[in-house]
Amino acid sequence: MPFTPMFWRIVRRLLTANYGRLFVILLALGAGAAVTAALLNLQIDAKRRLTTEFRALGANVVVAPQDTSNSDSNGTTLDEALLAQLPAENDGKHVPAVGFLYVIGEVSRAGTLHYEPAVIAGTRGQGLASVRPGRRTEFSAADESNSNACEVGAKAAEQFGVHAGDTLLLRNHDREASCKIYSIVASGGADDTQIFTHLGTAQALAGLPARISLIQLSVTGTPDSISRFVADLSRRVPGADVHGVKQFAEAEGRIYKRISGLLSSTVLLVLLLTSLCVMAGMSNVAIERRNDVGLMKAIGGSVRRVVRLFLAEAIILGIAGGVVGSAAGLLVSIWLGKAVFGVVAEPRWIVYPFSVALTILVSIASAFPLRRLASIRPASVFRGEG
Amino acid sequence: MFLRLVTDSFTRRPRRKLLTMAALALGMAVATAALSVSLDVGDRLAQEFRSLGANLLVTPEADSLPLEIGGVDYRPVNAGAYLPEADLGKLKIIFWRFNIIGFAPILEVPIQAWSPASKNWSSPGATDKVTLIGTWSQHSVPIPDGTTYVSGIEKTNPWWNVEGNWFTENSDECVVGTAFANKLGVKIGDTLNVNAGAQAGWRALKIVGLLSTSGPEDNSVVAALSITQNLAGKPGQYRRLYVSALTKPEDAFARKDPKTMTAAEFDKWYCTPYISAIALQISQELKGTDVRVIRRVAEGEGNILTRVRMLLWLVTFAALLAAALAVGASAAASVIERRTEIGLMKALGAGSGLVGVLLVAEQLLLAFVGGGIGYALGLILARLLGERIFGFAPEPKLFVLLIILVLAALITLLGSALPLRRASRYDPAPILRGE
Repeated sequence: MPFTPMFWRIVRRLLTANYGRLFVILLALGAGAAVTAALLNLQIDAKRRLTTEFRALGANVVVAPQDTSNSDSNGTTLDEALLAQLPAENDGKHVPAVGFLYVIGEVSRAGTLHYEPAVIAGTRGQGLASVRPGRRTEFSAADESNSNACEVGAKAAEQFGVHAGDTLLLRNHDREASCKIYSIVASGGADDTQIFTHLGTAQALAGLPARISLIQLSVTGTPDSISRFVADLSRRVPGADVHGVKQFAEAEGRIYKRISGLLSSTVLLVLLLTSLCVMAGMSNVAIERRNDVGLMKAIGGSVRRVVRLFLAEAIILGIAGGVVGSAAGLLVSIWLGKAVFGVVAEPRWIVYPFSVALTILVSIASAFPLRRLASIRPASVFRGEG
Repeated sequence: MFLRLVTDSFTRRPRRKLLTMAALALGMAVATAALSVSLDVGDRLAQEFRSLGANLLVTPEADSLPLEIGGVDYRPVNAGAYLPEADLGKLKIIFWRFNIIGFAPILEVPIQAWSPASKNWSSPGATDKVTLIGTWSQHSVPIPDGTTYVSGIEKTNPWWNVEGNWFTENSDECVVGTAFANKLGVKIGDTLNVNAGAQAGWRALKIVGLLSTSGPEDNSVVAALSITQNLAGKPGQYRRLYVSALTKPEDAFARKDPKTMTAAEFDKWYCTPYISAIALQISQELKGTDVRVIRRVAEGEGNILTRVRMLLWLVTFAALLAAALAVGASAAASVIERRTEIGLMKALGAGSGLVGVLLVAEQLLLAFVGGGIGYALGLILARLLGERIFGFAPEPKLFVLLIILVLAALITLLGSALPLRRASRYDPAPILRGE
């Protein structure tokens, strides 16, 4: 008859006998649980968030024509219809994809008759700003939806002396077009010297209807998931060459590994040592229970029953500290996620039972020194001997 | 007598003191490890981000528009402006010279190429048009202060993989893009004849490596800058310069327009390694250039670095907090358990003040010894962590020890403050009766 009402009564008394001690124990266990829950949740969220953050680097996957033997600017092209065949998502995240057609044409500001050669890039698709990140130095929203709207790189805008709202004349041999500038964009790369028009305009200039030079995609995900995406897409579009942009893909992979390794090991270390700290602190509390044990043994309690009593106490404390502490930790991590990444961290519910379980384990392990109490001789305890 | 009381309490019940000390040492070890790694990791990560390649691009100021598609300039050799290669040493005399970790000039020339080893070669007339990229592999740049600095394309474009070797400077060697090599049917060790159409005529280059970048360079030939200048008839000149610099992530202050800053603000901005400040310093040294920040690299790096740093500080803070609470709990327990002793001391005539001082002295002794052990333990942990992740060991910093000791003392005192206050109010009689 191990769990008699008497048993529970003793446990209740054990817990409530000294409120100061109860508070100290719960504080230590609760703090441990809170840190565990907050760190675990933050770590899972941070790794995911990091992959999103990497997209500031722009396109990391390119679909290009397979045969690149003809390296002229108006060389081999892809069918525009490919754009429709691209997967819209990877790991549940939208994949911006933009088709480009590059034409080396001649450009002049409307009103002047001075033409200069420049690269005209026709674009089609959502997310030009995602695959080609940069800062818009000028922007006129009114002109954005025009059918002949165009965006001009900062260096090109300077060269032609144009601003948002101006009109550019474009020509390639005998084909001519014009476009109205809605934005000036500075990216620091080759894009700064290009003029971005609607795809149709560039195709008309190049005389290549329904053709594109390449597609740029900005794929969110861990390095492994991006490689899977590339392999999958290669199978889906057999006529084209799909590859990661090595500059970003490689560095991304390396940095991701470092950072996630750093986070994982720091968090693991912190958790391990936090458990040990809590355990050491708790053991200290446990040792002072000598008097209680001595009394129990003196009135005939067997060692097994005494240990069971203390284990029950530890489990109850662990559950209480764990449940409250982990909940607090999760709440804190949601708020911390907002502080670090600007977006609230989604609570991962798997973290909760895990951290509660860990707290109970730590609490039981802390009661371990009590095993030594089996050897306590009641008489010497009552005599007040150490 | 006071000292004897303190030493006695340590020697007579070593087990309890040991447990408190263990909790303290462990807690402080977490704190030390987390602090050391956080302090060091920012710089390491910044270095790691340089694998993204150059973050600054230098071009001639007065230039025609480059006709650049996917990294290859399609302008003819005679169009556009050039910059003098001889000036490049000045990059290492700017204010933030030590933050410049690599730079490489680029000169591109359209050339014709054929190889006698080519399986596809049939007649001398069947040559291939290709771009020759001239750059540095391991170039010694003379610096105006008399020293030299070795830099090359591997530092600015670390993702350029070469199977075989890079060409050596000052020798007729080249590296061929994998796609072009496949098309031509040549391999390492073959000879490639190139001609840029200038008066230099044909030149035979030995292929020493195959380049794969998954970019347009796969379809080109890369050779020493001097050879390219010679072929193009542009001695000592280049068209584009890539610079890789270690920078501080831009914050709100860095985004201010330097022209609107007060003199003091400008000085502060100029003396901070913001990418925009480094860009300004470079354009001051290299006359007639336009230095642009490669936004996608610089901003991606800045964003991620700021976030990771914040995250690490958070983890450190959490570790400190957990350690503090556990240590505090342990300290509190060690005071609570000594009620009888306190009662006895008071019964023997000790005042509350004396009892308090005695206990505080004990706790402080514990804090310093435990803190010291924890610091040593934490250093080992930080070393393990650092070596596993970054292949470096964070240097032991003295002020971390200082922080740890102060922290340990503070936490133990705070932890024992509440029970101590209660202890000083104890009435000796009931305690001694065992109530």
